Amino acid sequence: MHKRLLAVLAYVGAALSLIVAACTPFVLMGAFSEAVARTGVHVDAVYSGGTIARTVMRDGYQIDVYRPVQPHALQNVDPFVQIAFRPAASLPRRFNTELDLDGDGRPDVRVSLVMPRNPRARPSGEVVALSEAYRSFRMPESEVGFSELIAQSNGAVLVRIPVNQPSAGR
Amino acid sequence: MASAAILHPKRRPPPFRTVGRSVLLTLPIALWALLMFTPTLRSPGLNHHIGAAAAVLFMTLLFFLMMRTGKTFRWRRYFFVALGFLFPVGFIASLIHLRGSMSISLEHMLGGDTPFCHMVIPMILIPAALTRTVIFPGSILPTATNPHSVAVMIGLWLALTLVLGKAWCSYACFFGGIEEGFAALPKHIRIRKIDPRLRLVPWALLIAVAVLSAALFEPVYCMWLCPFKAVTEFPAVTGVKTAIQMGIFVALFVGLVVVLPFLTKKRTQCGFFCPFGAFQSLFNKINLFEIRFDRTKCVDCTLCQTACPTMALSAESIREGKTLLNCMKCGACVDSCKKHAAVWHLKGTPVAVKPERARLLFLYGAWALATMLGGSIIANSLATILGFLPIR
Repeated sequence: MHKRLLAVLAYVGAALSLIVAACTPFVLMGAFSEAVARTGVHVDAVYSGGTIARTVMRDGYQIDVYRPVQPHALQNVDPFVQIAFRPAASLPRRFNTELDLDGDGRPDVRVSLVMPRNPRARPSGEVVALSEAYRSFRMPESEVGFSELIAQSNGAVLVRIPVNQPSAGR
Repeated sequence: MASAAILHPKRRPPPFRTVGRSVLLTLPIALWALLMFTPTLRSPGLNHHIGAAAAVLFMTLLFFLMMRTGKTFRWRRYFFVALGFLFPVGFIASLIHLRGSMSISLEHMLGGDTPFCHMVIPMILIPAALTRTVIFPGSILPTATNPHSVAVMIGLWLALTLVLGKAWCSYACFFGGIEEGFAALPKHIRIRKIDPRLRLVPWALLIAVAVLSAALFEPVYCMWLCPFKAVTEFPAVTGVKTAIQMGIFVALFVGLVVVLPFLTKKRTQCGFFCPFGAFQSLFNKINLFEIRFDRTKCVDCTLCQTACPTMALSAESIREGKTLLNCMKCGACVDSCKKHAAVWHLKGTPVAVKPERARLLFLYGAWALATMLGGSIIANSLATILGFLPIR
């Protein structure tokens, strides 16, 4: 009796797995994908730059200032703040601007950018720290890394400024 | 009858099933394949029509041959090798179309444009569970420049794993076919003795990459050890570090995917290296289908052990009538067994009673999903190749 019940359950399970296979392209794959997205998982801020703290509007373009990114314990990346100038196509060929990164009303860095003629090429430029909390660098002289870069991505110019003190910013 | 057998000692054995019964059993798969490819067949573009039609015919014909001959591994291998060799063609073409290069630059990582592949899953689980962070430079939802997003690929993997378990590695993985192809090339095995302890390497690697990825918050295997980066995408070589990474990818690919499979006739990368394969083995515990051995028929000839592409059989496991946990249900042992001792089995039912029923129940699910995923990759890649040809 026990063996017979087991066999019946096994065939029910096998039939269910066939139903799962048949439902996969129409319902299941999408439902599982939505469930994954709904868990609230997000791409690591080292890649995405984190979340936007505030936006500064300029003539023809905007500057998004992100919240500081603190790497995890053994992550081989320095803390940084990302700034995005968008849209990249509307940026002047050469410009410089002073920016308040931590929201205290005083400028923390001066960013100078030179936009390349080739929209796929990396812009060059310089970040001068006006506050001790941030580090200056110049591209292309400095080595590009996740915490120190000037790059174009998804129609924006991204600048990542290394943070000296983990407590910098909000 | 006996004299006829003596007169024709090498006569082919009779077919497993009649043509009519095989056609009837193939009908559901033929309809399923048509259903899967109807959108492609309706969309404009002759190359895509040809690719889809070829995929429908290919998948249906192989299933028919499985039904007709009773052999699984022999026909599955054609699909799997085609998938393995065609996947890089379509994938590289799409990368070049979307971003102009096979290499992935820092800009693409920042933009979330790295396609997510199933090999990353064991590495992202711990950080995702602890911090809800995905340690991969992709995007959670599909975007115009990255359709292979994290959520889509995990959704696909979850659904397929429910049906296939570890059989993912022989019906769904788009990498394993490359080494299976190289393993199929030589007639004879050149390296016979393989230390069985090598079976533990994928488990060690799984633990190491899962722990290291969680500690360093980066997908360690993708960054340093994935042999298939050599034929898909790789970090743009911009310095010493990226040059070393590229060197490792190429060396592992040549060694584990080309040379060793050729010498051993085994899937050496899958059997002795792949941490995702080890991870997927865990799902064999919850999957209903398995291969068992009828001890009343087994003569311990070890033909099945020789045939197994990932050393998922040991003398001890055969004595117990079971496979090891890393069995990927490719059917090589069943096809090779002359005494019909190796059989497909549905857990909970008596062993070797109606094994063909268990095989059919497994194959319908597995082949339906293989057609959905692998078949569409084959169709797209064929369309891509046709696009390169100077014919109209």
